[in-house]
Amino acid sequence: MGSPIRTMMVHVDGTEQSIVAAQYAVLLAKQIEARLFAAFVVNTRALSDLVKTHIFLETEEQEYERDLEADADRYLNHVKQLAAQKDCPIETVKARGNVHQELIRVVTENHVDLLVLGELAHVRSRRDEFYNEAERAMRSVSCTVLIVKDEDRVYDLFESNL
Amino acid sequence: MALIDLVSPDVVRVPVSAENKPDVLKELVDVLYNAGKISNSSDALKALLTRESQGSTGLENGIAVPHAKTHVVDSLTLAIGIAPQGVEFDALDGEPSRLFFLLLAPPDQSGPHIEALSEIARLTRSQAFCRTLASANSPEEVVELFQD
Repeated sequence: MGSPIRTMMVHVDGTEQSIVAAQYAVLLAKQIEARLFAAFVVNTRALSDLVKTHIFLETEEQEYERDLEADADRYLNHVKQLAAQKDCPIETVKARGNVHQELIRVVTENHVDLLVLGELAHVRSRRDEFYNEAERAMRSVSCTVLIVKDEDRVYDLFESNL
Repeated sequence: MALIDLVSPDVVRVPVSAENKPDVLKELVDVLYNAGKISNSSDALKALLTRESQGSTGLENGIAVPHAKTHVVDSLTLAIGIAPQGVEFDALDGEPSRLFFLLLAPPDQSGPHIEALSEIARLTRSQAFCRTLASANSPEEVVELFQD
């Protein structure tokens, strides 16, 4: 019988939680010999919304987009290094647009069986749950979703399982 | 990071007593300095005034979102000011501004900076929220509103 998980994707967004999720995804992909993607979405939708609402000038939009692009490269490179430490092949995807919609697109296009997300932020107000992009992706993607928790345990696993 | 993580009574000024744009910015920067959120108030003010010189952050319906990148903060920092009397802030609609969301971000934290500004934009779309916020009488009331 084949593995139920042949292709995995971890969402990297620059948070500590997403890096922990990437560590876990690397360990799991290596163990089950799954194909692994890491995806970072540059949230250009938020940038254009800030221009539309006049909070941002167009020059700010361009400046912040460059910053986000650089963040994407930096974090995806970091995840590549994590995968290399474990001798685990990984493919990186840098997308642009609305975060949860882009995640759905990338999941679908790459026939991802398992989306791996970092621990979700605690909901401290009713508004939070409606606008957390990771949570929206979790609810909307067609594949199974794994939420990685217990940062210390994952860190120990990653460091010990050399 | 959610906006509520940045809101505490010590970063809320109710009411703002300043009567013009530079003084509002200074008053809110001083709030952050007194709360121990920034290390250098003059550099923070300079960054905000530089941004304002490129285009006012006074929006419509009494909202203003002054913001800047600056090295005087280690992490995203927010101050909220409520000026029931309204202050001339070069707003888009020419009306006085009453609700001020002042955001300072370190230069290397553009992602959280954008998230926070987006959340402010979403919040201020609600006229009911803005009306209730404008009528708050204390910093604690403001914090409670964000927790709803």
